[in-house]
Amino acid sequence: MFLNHKPNRPATYGEANRDIIRVLLSPSMGYFALLALVTTLMIYGGYSWYMQLRYGLGVAGITHPNMWGVYIVTFVFWVGIGHAGTLISAILYLVRSKWRTGVYRASEAMTVFAVMTALLFPVLHLGRAWQMYWFFPYPNQRYLWVNFKSPLMWDVFAISTYFTVSAVFFFIGLVPDIAIVRDHSKGAIRKVYSLLSLGWAGTGRQWHHYMAAYGFFAALAAPLVLSVHSVVSWDFAVAITAGWHSTIFPPYFVAGAIFSGCAMVITLLLPLTIAFKWEKYVNIWHFEQLAKMCLLTSGILTYAYATEYFVGWYSQNPYEWQIFAWRATGEYAWAFWTMVICNCVAPLPWYIPSLRRNPWVLFIVSIFINIGMWFERFNIVVSSLSHNFDPSTWWYYWPSEVEWGIMIGSFGWFGFWFLLFLQALPAVAIAEIKELIAPPVKGALEAK
Amino acid sequence: MTNLNRRDFLKALGITSGASALSACGLDDNRYRTPVESILPYVVKPDQVTPGTPTFFATSALQGPHAAPVLARHRDGRVINVGANKRAPTAPAVQAFNLYELQKHFSPDRVTGPMKAGAPVSWEDGLNELSAAVSAKGAKKVAYLGGYKGPALEQLVGEFADIAVFWEPTGYDALVDAAEALFGVRAMPHYGLHKAGYVLSFGAPFLSGWGDSSIAARYAEARDPNVGHSVVRFGLVAPHRDQTGGNADDWMACAPGSELVVARAIAAWVANKKGASAEIKALIGNVSLDEAASASGLSKEAIESAAANFAAHDSIALPGGVSGSTDLAAATYLLNLAGGASAEMFHFGGFSGRVDGYAKLEALKAALDAGEIAVLLVDDANPVYALPGGADFGASISKAGLVVSVDSAPSETAALASLVLPTSDVFEDWGVEQPVAGMYLTRQPAQSALHDTRSLGDILLAVGKAAGVAAAAPAPAAEGEEAVEGEEAVAAPVAAGFSAANWQEYVKSWVRANLFSGGDFSAFWEKTVIDGFVSAAAAASVPGLVAGAYAFAATEAQGSGEYFLHLHNHSQRLDGRYANQPWAQELPDPMTGEVWGSWLEVSKATADALGVGYNDAVIVTTPAGEFEVGVHVLPSVPDNVVALALGNGHTAAGRYANEYGVNGAAMATLAKDSKGNATYGPIKVSVKSAGKKADLVTAFSTFGMSDEGRSFGVAVNAGQLAEHGDAASDHPGEMTGIHHLQLDARLREKGISDFYGLPDHPNYRFGLTVDTNACTGCGACSVACYAENNLPIVGKVKVAEGREMGWIRINRYWETDQGGQDDIRFVPMMCQHCGHAGCENVCPVLATYHSIDGLNAMVYNRCAGTRYCSNACPYTVRRFNYHSYAWPEPFNLQLNPDVVVRTMGVMEKCTFCVQRIRQVKSAYKDGGNFTATVPSEVWEQVPACAEACPSQALTFGNLVEEGSKVVAATKSGRRYQPLEELNAFSAVTYLAKANFHIEPPSHGGGHGAGHGEDHGDAHHDEAGHGSDDHGEAAHDDNHKGGEDHPEAGGH
Repeated sequence: MFLNHKPNRPATYGEANRDIIRVLLSPSMGYFALLALVTTLMIYGGYSWYMQLRYGLGVAGITHPNMWGVYIVTFVFWVGIGHAGTLISAILYLVRSKWRTGVYRASEAMTVFAVMTALLFPVLHLGRAWQMYWFFPYPNQRYLWVNFKSPLMWDVFAISTYFTVSAVFFFIGLVPDIAIVRDHSKGAIRKVYSLLSLGWAGTGRQWHHYMAAYGFFAALAAPLVLSVHSVVSWDFAVAITAGWHSTIFPPYFVAGAIFSGCAMVITLLLPLTIAFKWEKYVNIWHFEQLAKMCLLTSGILTYAYATEYFVGWYSQNPYEWQIFAWRATGEYAWAFWTMVICNCVAPLPWYIPSLRRNPWVLFIVSIFINIGMWFERFNIVVSSLSHNFDPSTWWYYWPSEVEWGIMIGSFGWFGFWFLLFLQALPAVAIAEIKELIAPPVKGALEAK
Repeated sequence: MTNLNRRDFLKALGITSGASALSACGLDDNRYRTPVESILPYVVKPDQVTPGTPTFFATSALQGPHAAPVLARHRDGRVINVGANKRAPTAPAVQAFNLYELQKHFSPDRVTGPMKAGAPVSWEDGLNELSAAVSAKGAKKVAYLGGYKGPALEQLVGEFADIAVFWEPTGYDALVDAAEALFGVRAMPHYGLHKAGYVLSFGAPFLSGWGDSSIAARYAEARDPNVGHSVVRFGLVAPHRDQTGGNADDWMACAPGSELVVARAIAAWVANKKGASAEIKALIGNVSLDEAASASGLSKEAIESAAANFAAHDSIALPGGVSGSTDLAAATYLLNLAGGASAEMFHFGGFSGRVDGYAKLEALKAALDAGEIAVLLVDDANPVYALPGGADFGASISKAGLVVSVDSAPSETAALASLVLPTSDVFEDWGVEQPVAGMYLTRQPAQSALHDTRSLGDILLAVGKAAGVAAAAPAPAAEGEEAVEGEEAVAAPVAAGFSAANWQEYVKSWVRANLFSGGDFSAFWEKTVIDGFVSAAAAASVPGLVAGAYAFAATEAQGSGEYFLHLHNHSQRLDGRYANQPWAQELPDPMTGEVWGSWLEVSKATADALGVGYNDAVIVTTPAGEFEVGVHVLPSVPDNVVALALGNGHTAAGRYANEYGVNGAAMATLAKDSKGNATYGPIKVSVKSAGKKADLVTAFSTFGMSDEGRSFGVAVNAGQLAEHGDAASDHPGEMTGIHHLQLDARLREKGISDFYGLPDHPNYRFGLTVDTNACTGCGACSVACYAENNLPIVGKVKVAEGREMGWIRINRYWETDQGGQDDIRFVPMMCQHCGHAGCENVCPVLATYHSIDGLNAMVYNRCAGTRYCSNACPYTVRRFNYHSYAWPEPFNLQLNPDVVVRTMGVMEKCTFCVQRIRQVKSAYKDGGNFTATVPSEVWEQVPACAEACPSQALTFGNLVEEGSKVVAATKSGRRYQPLEELNAFSAVTYLAKANFHIEPPSHGGGHGAGHGEDHGDAHHDEAGHGSDDHGEAAHDDNHKGGEDHPEAGGH
């Protein structure tokens, strides 16, 4: 099919430049339609938040004991999405994995924007969002300090660090490519690109320093991939709530994050590759590697789910066991089984090589995984709180319109940045693609 | 202006801004007489006023038909709370109803000034119109219809009106008439429950506002295992379990209307067993247990066992509730005599005020219909709403020449008045009450009138004077204070006529005439007003029977249909008199959790037969019409009965009452028992599904009714409890049989009870004891908390979303014991002020922290609203301000100035009333004690909940002080803490409830909380199921053998 297309000859440096920069020069009507759509979603989300700021959190569906709901679910979802990019760009870089090259730029962009999206939620879920600066330990005359024992405080540092490092790493990778765009652009925009390219001229000395810096940042970013979602999982694991209070959470969350992140890369990049005709640079082999990552992490997740049940039963802790039994059989069973089907069952077809090389199967299963991973967080956040310790307070939480609005708005916000990125910056790493292309030695083509 | 220099500019600026600030003070807009605030301190401090400290006025508040001695807490010109007058002998606490009176006082729906035909008039014009109508009455009569408000007012009304009816809508007339028929006294019985070993009730809601203000305390005393080493057993013969019935140990669900025959059968059985006099036997008649069994649907064994219990103990029988008849009351009186109840337990020195039965009201109605009434004064009585359907009192009222409402609260009856002369309420007026025989309560204004109201006494005096009403009694000499000062005036003339200068003087002269026994009256009066009561112990004696025979007759069932409709008083709104008080609307019904409206209780079988479930609407067809209501499925009624609370479905009683629920009273037809008293039962109805959802809102979880064996509601064997009481036990909590996972024994041997250690509490660790055996689920603690801590009312829609703000909720756990008896356990749940609080660690901004006094403190200003603390709280006691809530004026005047009003986005929870703790500490220091801690007995009732609890189930104290009650409770054999195994080290100790149906724990595994898991093979050395081992209650865990360690027997 499309992506199995084998070019009759490899791309040249010039073709790589042109194919990838072409996208930036000619936005289509479809692009503007998509941009209009995500902007609308974003405005709807903004309006929803305005309603919440004005009338209070009462417009959301949360209530005791379900003090967290869709906001935190979606927050964890986006933090998870924000994992694959740095994993692909940093860890795979360090292990010199070749398939990374075609997909890493888009994944990295996805990471930065997903973390930007995730960062919205800790603010907008607050009862008093205007006091968000209190979460930073700044010196003040009132001797007010933050509580470093609180996992939310750890979140502040973990996520802001992760965001900073991911964004810087993203930008460093972009510098040589921006220089290429600069060279292909004219007018005022050329000045912007000139500024962003930091005077990149592609000299040997620049490349020498550049590669050292890139390797350094890759090494810095790699552990953050593991730490940030571990810290996010502590939001739950540290609290005493049954169904949260579990040591399995950090590895389980990291695996889930990589799972959802890789699936999201497939979801985003597959249509792009086809639409932009980038078969020469990103093809089915890349997606197959992503699918294999998903298969691995899906297996880890399935094992983690099973372990949770085993521990719930084996511990004879009535609260734990009640939660896990209820998750699978109670009022939220539909959410639980959605999660199991999407995360444990849906990826199974990928074990068959022909299916994981089929773009349709790839795309549809990746959508399932995205849905499933949202529901995984829903199960964790909502059902544990819903049936907490005191049976007289048990409650059935259902999100309100405002919560749905803000969640949808977050997708709009993410899409908005991603679309701007597609139009402004090369979505495939041109400089690195060129490393895989035979150097333009005179007569080289003929020699092959 | 070019010469304007900087100094002049500043002067001008100062003058103009000062002037505008002054004019903005709004002196003319002082509608509710809010205090004019001044930032300057007093140069000469007025008497009684210390800024920042409350002043207390001993007065009496109404509590349904009764009055209770209370202390009104006055701050800055207004009453902000009502507390118990602990000096008075009758009531140790306030009840929720006293607080509803407070909210009634501040109701935004009160009439704020005289009105004529809906338009404001001046008092002069209003009084002139009334005077003119009274003086022009001619052959017609002046009638008064109102609730009873004490003997002084009764006397004045008697002089003013030709017909005076002091009407109580629900049930009291039957009690008085039965007493008259049997004993020749028109009085209500006094039930000395505290001496009882067995209480057999036929449905009287004696823990829900039916009895006098201290009946719940007397019941709690009988229930207290430490007093007399017995626990009263409570048998209930009734077709429905209301809040009072929820406390019953044995519920015998009889067919509606069969209570009478059961009562007589038991009485006959007991009379035989105890050898009662032939006179009593003759009055009871010969009713066999078989007869009772077939009429009631109960088993003969059940009735016999109730009778045997009755005969075996010092027992008291209580009559029926609103559906009870005069005959049932008489039968219970005879049962008490047959059982040999002592005078202390049963005499007719109960509420001795005047309550008129339906007969009087009927006479008034006849007079109205005949056009004989020139003027009708209506005060705090609402027959248009409360009479059973078909009475059509409204039509009769309109036949009076002039209908005057002398009540400031709106009601369906007051709405028919053409002239409204709003009267001051109990917090603004003078008065005398007689709650029980031998005791009088004085009432004094605890604040100046909130609105342009006058006291009813002043109105009557003024109109009486102006219209020249001939007083029934000779007019007394004018009694100015100066005339009597210092005089011996033993036989002072009875105050009468309309000569008194004002109502205050009238009350004073009434007191002088009736209560003063000589000496210095001025000193006596001063002491009386300060104390709030005059007590003269009346000798109690068992009344002598005057009746030779009593004709018992069952009340005929009305209507037809397959179900009985059982009507009962609402636990908070009673017969509807408190329906417009938002606290009474929002406080969950203790049994169902229902708020803001009506519900129909049906059994599971009935619900299945009708094909409905929770919140499905059904249509109930009664003889008086049909109504639609939502279904609440609960095993509180037998299969052939559906139950509906009265007190809802108002149409003109104010914004919080109107349109919520259905008026059950209007749905009954006017039925009379054999003695002519109106009754609400039995009614037969047909019920069918309406095929749609209703709008019920319950504050309880709809997921289940039990605590799922999680040791929230725990019961212990009553016999064992009675034997040991709360004496310090070597194994605290051993009676409950609950065993928790705990630390490894090797750690405990080293004295390590906890990995982290408790926070340091050098002087205080405040704690609370909750005796679930004494708790009756009435909710007074919760209402007191609303009043004290400025908790907002959120309304029906928001409660449906789960946003109620109560800091104390009364969990109701419905457990089924081994014997198949339902045991309903009320467990008040508030912040546990944990030593290791889950909430404290997770707050990112340190808005909640552990104070040095052991309080889990909450800094509202610092809270940013992550709500993480609530998620981390295993007790789910934190409440979040989802919105900024409003207090419609003048509710805002009730706000406690010591407690901040929280705004949107902030978490809040129980503080143990930290503001009161501060006051106590400051006062102690002011007394010169700078180093010592405040002794424990001072603390016992400091928080509002503990102060309010009518059964004194809550005790506050200092856990650091050995010898305080709270420390003693931690050593009791029935102590427990919900979720203790989480090691939160809660500061609240619960004491388990007595239960007559469960076995004491015989080995390691107990049954009290359903913790029946196998403990036999658990090894203590390895995180086994040991008994608890907390700091204050540590014990040696090396087992010495089963004989002295009952719970170790299984090892």
